[in-house]
Amino acid sequence: MAPTEYGIVYAVHIITVQFGSVVSKVCECLLRRGPLSSRDISRLAESEINHNQVKDILYLLIQHNCVQAFSVEPPDGSENKAITQYIVLFNNVIHRVRYNKFSRVVNEELGSQCGAVLDGLLSNGRLTLGQLIERDRDSENTIGSEAIRDSLEKLVAARFVERIPSPEPVLGKKEEGPAAKKRGAKAAKILKEPESLEERILEAATPVEAIRFPHIFKEDLSSSLADNDSNISEGKRKQRDVESSDPSDEVIWRPNFEEFIRRLRHKACVEIVKERRDEGCAIVLKAMLEVGRSQEKKVKTDKSVPMSMGSIYEEVIKTEAGRTMLQERVEACLEQLSASSSYLPAFVIETDDSYIVDFKSIISVAQKDELEAVIMGRYGKEAFRMFRYLSQEDRFVETDKIADAALTEKKNTPQILLKMWKDSYLHMQKLAVTGVYVPFLLWKVNKLIVSRQMLDEMYHASLNLSLRLTHEVDSEKELLLLPMAKLEGALKERVNKIKAKRMLLSSTRFKLDDSIMLFHDF
Amino acid sequence: MSKRKRPEPKSSSSMGGINEDEKKLLTLIRSKEGMGATTFEMKVGTSIQPTLITRAIASLKRNHLIKEVPNMNNKGIKHFLGVEFEPCKELTGGDWYIDGALDVDKIEGLKEICVKILERHKNRVVTLDVICSYFEKVMDKDKLTKEQTKEILKNLVLDNVIMEVKSSGLSEFSSTRIGEVCYKLTGKKSGGGEARAGAFASVPCGVCPHVALCSPGGVISPTTCVYFQKWLDF
Ligand code: SF4
Repeated sequence: MAPTEYGIVYAVHIITVQFGSVVSKVCECLLRRGPLSSRDISRLAESEINHNQVKDILYLLIQHNCVQAFSVEPPDGSENKAITQYIVLFNNVIHRVRYNKFSRVVNEELGSQCGAVLDGLLSNGRLTLGQLIERDRDSENTIGSEAIRDSLEKLVAARFVERIPSPEPVLGKKEEGPAAKKRGAKAAKILKEPESLEERILEAATPVEAIRFPHIFKEDLSSSLADNDSNISEGKRKQRDVESSDPSDEVIWRPNFEEFIRRLRHKACVEIVKERRDEGCAIVLKAMLEVGRSQEKKVKTDKSVPMSMGSIYEEVIKTEAGRTMLQERVEACLEQLSASSSYLPAFVIETDDSYIVDFKSIISVAQKDELEAVIMGRYGKEAFRMFRYLSQEDRFVETDKIADAALTEKKNTPQILLKMWKDSYLHMQKLAVTGVYVPFLLWKVNKLIVSRQMLDEMYHASLNLSLRLTHEVDSEKELLLLPMAKLEGALKERVNKIKAKRMLLSSTRFKLDDSIMLFHDF
Repeated sequence: MSKRKRPEPKSSSSMGGINEDEKKLLTLIRSKEGMGATTFEMKVGTSIQPTLITRAIASLKRNHLIKEVPNMNNKGIKHFLGVEFEPCKELTGGDWYIDGALDVDKIEGLKEICVKILERHKNRVVTLDVICSYFEKVMDKDKLTKEQTKEILKNLVLDNVIMEVKSSGLSEFSSTRIGEVCYKLTGKKSGGGEARAGAFASVPCGVCPHVALCSPGGVISPTTCVYFQKWLDF
């Protein structure tokens, strides 16, 4: 899914704040125009940035995992060398505001030493073991090279850290003849949407499992040079210039965002179940996620693998919260989780002797809450009923029928519907009927369009919160420089006020980001 | 759908004094029963000239063969019905309308009663029959039909105040038939979970009417906006 307009503006804002406006120009150029060569960027970016500068900026963005280089295999028999192109990784840019969430996951699960190593990788983008050790040596709370190595090993084993992808994968030519197109279209219908260019590039760049998360951690994990070629999974392996490979022999590591998002997704699911069912159900679900996690392929998995009662119970009693639970209780929770009503869908699907977690249904409950809360806040109670009725019907319904179903005043119904339609929260169709000169209006909630609209507005709101925060802090800049201990009376109050504002703005942005993930990443 | 008030007048006697055009129109109007026909439909449905239609309508009205009913959905559009027909729901607005306006007070009152009934049965589900029998027994005037009671309950479901559950026959459903539709309150009141407050809706921008016009550095902008001002006013 291409980023929305405010998604782009927000991403550019993040880059501007962290790397300055020149870097953000390059980033914006890539976000708006898609993959480009470095020459094209220096030509198209909206300010004078020479080619060398562009190259430096691209290296910086690659170092921070925001850009990926790639090239496309030239046509057969062509003498031309493939030109390196660059694609911006929108998700990774947005992830930059979530680093403390990632860090917390590791601190909770693997402890603070691993947390410290991860922080090093997050703030530097990519590092070798040697660089991590060096960084530790220079820091105030040194933990020692052994501890660094151990921590890195643990992080890799837990998949929180991965070997960097291939620096420049080569994509095979796309079959583009009419015959191929037809076949493609048919296959796509049966399978799924065709992969986007970004997905193809990432897939081609990602090394195979064993290389991405190596088991054995030897002193001389030095096959990186070889890997760079061996991990190109798409197209033919190509001999490339050594120039593009890393000159050092040491393996370079980076945070594996995919795993972090998976963990946050799981956490969010447990939270939703806790809110909507109860603590017991949440414990059982958490155990189920643990059982099924290693078999999840993509982050956005709709359904887990089937699990037996035995394996779930085994996992439940491993946890502190579940240690005292009897199997009977776990069974009762599973039953509750598989129940459905007009209010809640089933969270777990029961088949024969096994249970499947329905991620999609859990996530959709939280998405619905978010969406309906906005409808209620913005358009009121009547609109809320109409919207819920239309989402439930999932088809086009005419104005009068909506008024009847929602018991709203017929005279006011069209205006309310129109308001939601103007803001892209509803879909409308005019139906001209012969014999009636006023066309019928038909309305529908299109979940995809609504989610996208909502997402765009959430990016917008995050941007606004961030801008307002800067504005508030700037307006009291001098005051904040004064030592707190010396302040008294009115001045002290002002400092406290600005601190409270800062707190509210940043914690709200933090929470809003959870909802952005709910709509974009989960 | 539409009830006939009185037996259809014998066509021979009532059609006696009217001309061909009027006869054609009357047949068309009667065929539309409780919905009646608009002048536009008469023009399209017959090939009579517009001026003649107006004249024919006037004459039919004079003869008490048709009546004029306003359409409450489209003010200004007149529908002509045969005198023997009652205007249908589409024209009057339906059961919940009095004098062309939705009787919101009545609806809200009934909704409150339903919620009270469910509150009394905390931790247990309530079947449609239980609620219906309340409205049949307790309320002397304004008795509700089963359909109307259902409509009120559906409305509460749309309000997300109550939920509809199919009975499983177990525990909280013990005194119900398996598969029977039951109702209970949502949220903490019934011992269940609450819907989320919504992170976006609790940011000023989430419920802001100007979000589409607001932009950094624009006339409406996050640095100057009044909604933030109010929100951050400690
Ligand atoms: S910053 Fe203010 S004006 Fe802009 S969308 Fe948010 S609340 Fe509305």
